[in-house]
Amino acid sequence: MPTLRDLQIEFASAIFNPSGKGADFLQNLVDGNLSPKRQLDIYRNNVFGCLTDALKIAYPVIAKLVGVEFFEHLASEFVLKNPSKSGDLHDFGGELAQFIAEFPSAQTLVYLPDVARLEWACHQVFFSENHPPLQSERLAVVPEDQHERLKFHLHPATRLIASPFPIHLIWETNQDDFKGDSAVNLNRGGVRLLVRRNNYQAVLQPLTEGKWSFLNSCLSGRDLSQASADAQKIDPHLDIGETLKQCVADSILVDFSL
Amino acid sequence: MSPNGAKRTPDPIPAQAGIGLRAPHYREILEKRPNIGWLEVHSENFFSDGGQPLFYLEQIRNHYPLSLHGVGLFLGSTDPMNWDHLDRLKSLIDRFEPDFVSEHLCWGSAQGRFLNDLLPLPYTEQALDHFCRQVQRAQELLGRTLLIENVCSYLQYKESTIPEWEFIAEVSQRTGCGLLLDVNNIYVNSVNYQFDPEIYFQSIPLNAVREIHLAGFDDTGDCLIDTHSQPVFPEVWELYRQAVKRFDETPTLIEWDTDVPELSVLLEEARKADAILIGNHAHTA
Repeated sequence: MPTLRDLQIEFASAIFNPSGKGADFLQNLVDGNLSPKRQLDIYRNNVFGCLTDALKIAYPVIAKLVGVEFFEHLASEFVLKNPSKSGDLHDFGGELAQFIAEFPSAQTLVYLPDVARLEWACHQVFFSENHPPLQSERLAVVPEDQHERLKFHLHPATRLIASPFPIHLIWETNQDDFKGDSAVNLNRGGVRLLVRRNNYQAVLQPLTEGKWSFLNSCLSGRDLSQASADAQKIDPHLDIGETLKQCVADSILVDFSL
Repeated sequence: MSPNGAKRTPDPIPAQAGIGLRAPHYREILEKRPNIGWLEVHSENFFSDGGQPLFYLEQIRNHYPLSLHGVGLFLGSTDPMNWDHLDRLKSLIDRFEPDFVSEHLCWGSAQGRFLNDLLPLPYTEQALDHFCRQVQRAQELLGRTLLIENVCSYLQYKESTIPEWEFIAEVSQRTGCGLLLDVNNIYVNSVNYQFDPEIYFQSIPLNAVREIHLAGFDDTGDCLIDTHSQPVFPEVWELYRQAVKRFDETPTLIEWDTDVPELSVLLEEARKADAILIGNHAHTA
């Protein structure tokens, strides 16, 4: 008689690897109303169905772009290579963009991995923690000679995404409530996006290259003088003072440290 | 007390029908505040650090008694105890002060790989010892008793030696946990494995049952599958009447997780359960 631990390991391997060692697991099952194979198939359907549904919920635009049949094929391959590591299904699926980038039958859809990255950013932003706005009085008490050394922190519910493809438009035209012309010209160029939360929903905000670079430098822990230099290399006319003021007012930058 | 200092509804979960609170109904529940005894949520749907789910639950909790129903702790797994999951659950308990916290009699991960399904244990002495130990550890960390729910099973292990009903009764005896009796699951298993559900009820200690679940199943032709995608079936209502006769005034939850219908449909199902609870009370009073 196998130990409970062996039985569970064999069960899992039978679910995910039916043609390999897993076939032995069937010997542990009673051949009753349902054959051992059918009993295991029910669980395989449940497990793959549930994990696929979790991916459909996190990646509705990908599902729409590739169609249900292809998405389910993609999902079942993904599940085999990227096991769920959590009892909370909301944690599952973060590696899908990388997986799609390497998935042979998705190679012609060059923009797909970036759309997946964008959807995962939206998923994370939806569930991220809340944070109060930065009170300008806190900034006012910082001595002026230290301003350059301030490191600004982004709101936890923000993500920065850059893509050479118009993923912003692809995302918008594939929302359920979108009305209008859904054709997107892939040659219209890339986009730099801030994904943030508004009214508890993830929203996309296209940014200029300079502003995106400024925020990205803040995110990397660079101080104000470094972040300003990074941004002005790309956009010499960027008004850092104004950008900073706006980002604080919009609760994009919500804290700072020295 | 909630973090903002507002006082929670202090009442315990009443012996009435409640419904599972799902995302499509957050706003409507808050706006209409339907007359329903209590609400139950899946704990993991509120494991996030912030955002919309917590925003709504904070408000809804002020108007209804609450039960947290876990679908991802998998106490029967032989993997090391999932302390991270338990910590997240504990934070949620501290924040929302639910009257009930429940988990399933199942396992769901092996070697750190999660199957995210409620997988049945073999009903053996070894599994019983393991599961009871895990329930005790979880109860110690959470500082409260859990309710443990019976699951549907579509497979039978050759090595099982204990009937499911004796196994779950023993879990309750050894750990002091309460039981969440899913009458639909008992019905589904009784059809799939051809046993008399009355035997199940008779094995369960009367005072152990704190909550009952009702839901709908699917018939695939060769077996019944618990899908939570349908109204409660007449056969399950009949079995529920028997359960209420035996276990008396037990809070009863209508569960619906797939193809979630309009709120009014859930409330109508809850009214049916309430009628049976009240009818039994009038009969025995």
